[in-house]
Amino acid sequence: MALLRLEKVTKRFGGLVAVNEVDLHIEAGESIGIVGPNGSGKTTLYNVISGVYTPEEGRVFFEEQEITFLPPYRRAHLGLGRTFQISRPFGSATVRENVAVGALFGTLHGRIGVDEALKLADRYIELVGLSELKDKVAGSLTPVEKKLMEVARALAMRPKLLLMDEAMAGMHPKDIDRLVGLLKEIKEEEKIAMVAMVEHIMRAVVGFAERVVVMHFGRKLVDAPTAEALKDPKVVEVYLGCPLEEK
Amino acid sequence: MKGSKYLPIIPVYIGYLVLFLIARGMPGMWQLMAMLVFYCAVGQAFNIFFGMTGYVNFGYVAFLALGVYGMALAIHYFHQFSWLGLGIVIIGLLLAMVMAGLLSLVVGAVALRLGGAYFAIATIGVNEGFRYLIEGAKIWGGSEGIIFSKQMTEAFGREMANRLSTLWADISVLLIAAVAALITLYFIKGKIGYALMALREDEGAAKVMGINVTKYKLIAFVTSALLAGLIGAMAWGLKLTYVFPPEVFDISYTVEAIVIVMLGGAGTLLGPVVGGLLYGLAKYWLTVILPGFQLLIFAPIIIVIVVAFPEGVVGVLKRRVKGTALEPFIL
Repeated sequence: MALLRLEKVTKRFGGLVAVNEVDLHIEAGESIGIVGPNGSGKTTLYNVISGVYTPEEGRVFFEEQEITFLPPYRRAHLGLGRTFQISRPFGSATVRENVAVGALFGTLHGRIGVDEALKLADRYIELVGLSELKDKVAGSLTPVEKKLMEVARALAMRPKLLLMDEAMAGMHPKDIDRLVGLLKEIKEEEKIAMVAMVEHIMRAVVGFAERVVVMHFGRKLVDAPTAEALKDPKVVEVYLGCPLEEK
Repeated sequence: MKGSKYLPIIPVYIGYLVLFLIARGMPGMWQLMAMLVFYCAVGQAFNIFFGMTGYVNFGYVAFLALGVYGMALAIHYFHQFSWLGLGIVIIGLLLAMVMAGLLSLVVGAVALRLGGAYFAIATIGVNEGFRYLIEGAKIWGGSEGIIFSKQMTEAFGREMANRLSTLWADISVLLIAAVAALITLYFIKGKIGYALMALREDEGAAKVMGINVTKYKLIAFVTSALLAGLIGAMAWGLKLTYVFPPEVFDISYTVEAIVIVMLGGAGTLLGPVVGGLLYGLAKYWLTVILPGFQLLIFAPIIIVIVVAFPEGVVGVLKRRVKGTALEPFIL
């Protein structure tokens, strides 16, 4: 059973076809990298999956239940978590409160109280290494810290599928390696399927993803295991410019 | 540690107690204190929606107005059943809550799906529309309103009617303010508070985090309206013993509520009390020294305060006491 399945999904903005007849399968516990240049339709694809946009054509299934028209909050209850390309912290609240929101309203919603949510928040804050900042106001964090906080907040939702939008952009290579290692650990422990979307950080893709989906002008260009996908002549041509070894 | 959640209610209740003691102990102060309590109560009720969600409801006074009508209708229609006694007042309060609650449910279910600015405009329309509906369709006495002082005397006897208007109406506004403060604290500390904080900061992100934003906005909206209905029923209905549409639907009361909450600190527990006291006292003082000019002077002062201290007095105070022994008391 596929965890997430897209069937010929198309999303248009006026005359622009941002996502064009995209099929996608994600199995439970998989880690996938979605790559593609700016404007290739990656973020739109995320927004269709998380319910921010409704597609014009095609259908979206989560655990074989159709969710094409389900509002975003219901998808979150089912087990869909995400982070944003430009961090969207609840700025006036503390890091701890931000992450507790994830715990309170994610898949555990209705079964968890505020005190337990705060405890769970502490656990995930420690996991991403922000313990010292947990009582700070989220708006005052650095961009990298905000990204880490968003990862913790999304993990506290206890999702089955975690969509990360440029979670590693702007990070120092050392931080990327650390985050990639961390995500792999969490994935093993909690059996979360993870999708990371990256524009150009090959370091993250190679380190993180088992499978790579390459987007180009709204279409899915390649969908293959990482090593294979990055050597694909089509990918090399439109995306990398030259084979990876020469870079 | 469980009990420490309720510590912030202490300064609020001390404030209300001081107002009550001054009113009882100092001759001639009752009316001024009653006015201050009214502003605190309206601020506290308004804050539950405006302060906690960031949405501006310009039609807020309509809920107070419906509360007054609830009380007026109860006394108007039930006064001949004098065996009901104070039960008539209870019926009035229930009717006030039902009417304010129903209107808020209907308006909220539709308008809360709109974005901030559109919501604000829609609520102005509701307030003005309701007023012209009552006046034009001659509902509930139309533009002449309802005067029910005679019926009150018939229902409760002269002595009791008098005590209800001059004493118990004011005291019950104080009690409503106290209840509103407790509800605010319960909301802030609980799951509802987290949901409202998230949607105030970033509604789109809140939705993706699993928050049914319309539901939580509606909870805050209806709670705030119910409290407004009760305040209207007591502070304007039972106290003044008449209801007159242009007065009770006057949008300037909504503006006053906004000023009180902004001044004191939106979304805080103590803010509406501080805001209510500052605003009430300033207004009273300006009315005495420069009658007729109070708005002209007040408007620029408010603008300066709101620009210079967008978090309000209590917002600034909260930052100041961080890390000190006072921290658990200020919220």
